[in-house]
Amino acid sequence: MATEQQVLDALRSVQDPDLHRDIVSLGFIQDMKIVGGDVSFAINLTTPACPVKDQLKAQAEEAVKKISGVKSVQIDMRAEVRSMAMPTGQFTIPGVKNIVPVGSGKGGVGKSTVAANLAVALAGTGARVGLMDADIYGPSIPTILGITEQPKPGQRGLIPPVAYGVKVISAGFFIKPDQAVIWRGPMLSKLVDEFLRNVEWGELDYLIIDLPPGTGDVQLTLCQRIPLTGAVIVSTPQDVALNVAEKAHIMFQQLKCATLGIIENMSYYICKHCGEREEIFSSGGAERAAAKWKVPVLGKIPLAKNIREASDNGRPIGLVEPGSPEAAAFAEIARNLAAQISIRNMQEQEEPLVKITF
Amino acid sequence: MADGKKLEKILVPLEVGRAGEHDIRIRWNDSSESIYIARKLRMECPCAHCVDETTGRRILKEPAIAMDVRPAAIEPVGRYGICIHWSDGHSTGIYTWEKLYGLAQR
Repeated sequence: MATEQQVLDALRSVQDPDLHRDIVSLGFIQDMKIVGGDVSFAINLTTPACPVKDQLKAQAEEAVKKISGVKSVQIDMRAEVRSMAMPTGQFTIPGVKNIVPVGSGKGGVGKSTVAANLAVALAGTGARVGLMDADIYGPSIPTILGITEQPKPGQRGLIPPVAYGVKVISAGFFIKPDQAVIWRGPMLSKLVDEFLRNVEWGELDYLIIDLPPGTGDVQLTLCQRIPLTGAVIVSTPQDVALNVAEKAHIMFQQLKCATLGIIENMSYYICKHCGEREEIFSSGGAERAAAKWKVPVLGKIPLAKNIREASDNGRPIGLVEPGSPEAAAFAEIARNLAAQISIRNMQEQEEPLVKITF
Repeated sequence: MADGKKLEKILVPLEVGRAGEHDIRIRWNDSSESIYIARKLRMECPCAHCVDETTGRRILKEPAIAMDVRPAAIEPVGRYGICIHWSDGHSTGIYTWEKLYGLAQR
């Protein structure tokens, strides 16, 4: 009969390709039971959006089956999103494990569309997701996700409406369509504070924040007030957009918020008549920026009419056309981002945050 | 996507603590250590009351600072620096890790 030690030794041969460690030393193995030749255990991943879930399961099964005396292997795949490091003495949102701002530098690159679809794709994997629309000047998340409901007052703060499994709060809920926001810095900071402190987010694995374009007050307040897991930068492939995106990257670097990756939007266009791929805004820009910044490209989204239509109709493409290449692009980005968040949190665990003992 | 490339290591403190009675000691993740004399650090306050925002010239005059000024409390600011609440009531400056590391090299 196989022993628990033998099974663990066999599982040590299975590596998580993102975290570069074996699944035993990562502490993924839980609830092992060995009855005669029947082995069962659970693999507790760091995210339900794990891109290599099936691969890890197959490898683990194969490794354990090789042990003599093992007749069957039952593996329960679970996921528990690990939290970012929380420094002591600083404000954090209780129950929120990871906060990921989505920024762009340049406006008009489709940041809000990407943020909304990314949040919906993450929620689709079973993760608990919130989306904060902090684009105060042009809040477009309510339109993109078709939210007509208003936040309701709760016991401690506002209860955000839920759209496609995502809890959403937006400046758009508080500003009438025929009003413009003409605010100075302190007002902007105040709104960000409200969204952080006075919204009942509940338990969240990921809180995605849709930032306004640029490197201004909202970005700065956010980075000062709360610890962030890391930022995502959206750009189109052309140099003019990437040069501005780089400024966003530099801002996050200066504020010690890691850039988790770059998403290339409007990456290419597939002609619906001839099927030819056309690179309207040039190509290879995201790769060049990623290499320079030493961050991964999380994915590329085509310029496609169905994304525009889905966004205007308030129904995410992943639900309207789940089989489309556009939906697949967002799903892939969600998995890659979740993996980068896990990597980041693992690194932080190994390198603890500053301790203030004065 | 890049195959789990490690993010570049950034210089941050591991610990911001006390040196002697009221000076500050910072232990960095490159295993170096820096000591900051309280009054000298108070003089380096980078806030807009102490430094002219456009010219970068120091407005703060040395004789105006009490000889025994010391931090009353230190709190983190985001992930990039600290805010020091000084015993003279001043607390508007954000000392970034870069600034602190740079001061130590001088």
